[in-house]
Amino acid sequence: MTRTPRSIAVLMAFAVLTGCGAQGGDPARQYGSDPFLPEPHQYLLPPMSVPESIGWHAGETPTASAGLKVEALATGLQHPRFLHTLPNGDILVVESNSPGTQAFRPKDFIAGKVKARAGAAGTGGNRITLLREAGAGQPALRTVFIDHLHSPYGVVLVGDTLYVANTDALLAFKYLPGMTQITSAGVKLTDLPAGPIDHHWTKSLAASADGSKLYVGVGSNSNITENGMAVEEGRAAIYEVDRLTGDKRIFASGTRNPTGVAFEPQTHQLFAVVNERDEIGPDLVPDYLTSIRQGGFYGWPYSYWGNHVDVRVHPQRPDLVARAIKPDYGLSSHVAPLSLLFSEGEHLSPTFANGAFISEHGSWDRSPLNGYQVIFVPFVNGQPIGRPVTVVSGFLGKDNAAVHGRPVGLALDASGAMLVADDVGNTVWRVSAAPAGS
Amino acid sequence: MPAQWSSDTNPPRPAPVLLHRGFVGASGALLMTAFGTDTCYYTTALWQWSNFSAWLITLGLIVLLLAVLLLLIDFATGRARRLNLLSFALVTAVGVLSLINAFIHSRDAWTSVVPQGIFLSAISTILLIIAGARGWSLAMSRAPTNRP
Repeated sequence: MTRTPRSIAVLMAFAVLTGCGAQGGDPARQYGSDPFLPEPHQYLLPPMSVPESIGWHAGETPTASAGLKVEALATGLQHPRFLHTLPNGDILVVESNSPGTQAFRPKDFIAGKVKARAGAAGTGGNRITLLREAGAGQPALRTVFIDHLHSPYGVVLVGDTLYVANTDALLAFKYLPGMTQITSAGVKLTDLPAGPIDHHWTKSLAASADGSKLYVGVGSNSNITENGMAVEEGRAAIYEVDRLTGDKRIFASGTRNPTGVAFEPQTHQLFAVVNERDEIGPDLVPDYLTSIRQGGFYGWPYSYWGNHVDVRVHPQRPDLVARAIKPDYGLSSHVAPLSLLFSEGEHLSPTFANGAFISEHGSWDRSPLNGYQVIFVPFVNGQPIGRPVTVVSGFLGKDNAAVHGRPVGLALDASGAMLVADDVGNTVWRVSAAPAGS
Repeated sequence: MPAQWSSDTNPPRPAPVLLHRGFVGASGALLMTAFGTDTCYYTTALWQWSNFSAWLITLGLIVLLLAVLLLLIDFATGRARRLNLLSFALVTAVGVLSLINAFIHSRDAWTSVVPQGIFLSAISTILLIIAGARGWSLAMSRAPTNRP
């Protein structure tokens, strides 16, 4: 045998590989309560598609929908993720990133490099910065509010206590109105599931209306249990933490990565945005927005969107699949919803009076790209209904070949403008109603 | 490479060592071990076994690539005379199957091994046992020759 047949065989092997890089369909088919779900596929080479991160040049901004304008409120931040507005209007910017994960397999090295290209590897500040506006959109003061945190994410103020969700613990800090810096060490309320691995490291956080309970979103420790079942103990769940005693329990489970939790203001129902699993197709599995029922099981890892079994999990659990809850509202696949913010009236426009803003960090394993925008999902009677509306876009460069920024945290400032944290552009954007006629 | 022999004795020139041969064997050992770790994963579902498999297959392919480079050097330097066709075909098949298997093992969880991964590991192991029994060499070395 000469070397020619070998070359042909290798070429055929690569043809098989590249032939599997299927293109995703129209995301609109997967919006709402009954998303289109294609057959799952397993690939030799999972589709990866990440634009190179280039940041923003001076004067460049994302694009707001009609009637809104966008301006930078703060730039030069260190991987800003989560935003929270205090009662006096001060804005907290949580600057954070993953505590760092180990590479276990040859694949992990490659995937790490691909994601780094998209700006996911930026160093997090492990701190919270405070911004104070002099007038609307005029930052007058910028201080390091709390430093030396450990991959913090969620922040919520209840009474005079500020809760910060580090990746491994929920901390409580004494807060007095007007404070611009907290130097005291926080008091640990409870531990949170973190290392080893800590694959999905963010701990989203919300407080119940009466302030008695805190709700913490804890992501899974893998895509689909490839790091073993043992490390999934207590993960992919939403915890309820008693604010006074620190007692915690799993409130709902099977939520692969609940990156944003919030209470719907009319019904006081807990909602979450959840990042679903990867590598079974460009249109699987739709990320979702859903109400969270106490004791509810939402499928991960055994099934998705109700009872669609994931064959990658072993052993299977038909008993759990049988009671897996279908989520309320599909956001389409791989958009990576990271923040959930309910609107509080017509502060931006009448269109956005009743519903939820959701930031979509954007896909890394889907072609064409999906997400990279802030959307609004209308609500009627406390339920998501109808088509999502794009509120902020333009995070991608020309031909989607580069990424300027990726939206993460959302908050409303004192004037009702929406703030958007951008962890690639290292900027906080302020989106407000444009003056009439402009 | 003119060898300097004593003109008095003129011993037969020994068959030269083929550089690639040991690397084919080393690659074969790694790839066959992956079948063992795949089997352990199949029976226990303990994730670390599948990680071992992924690394063994990746390393096996790297060592096999080295073996191919050394095979070219064996030919270029005249150590190798002609291809050992059956062994070459066997190892070529193992190389192609293991490349595909490396990608299958890059999947997540159970289906990174079962069923396709462990099947390819088993086929590769059978082919490698034959190649090993044939001495791992992918080429015939120059026969011992008596100098005139």
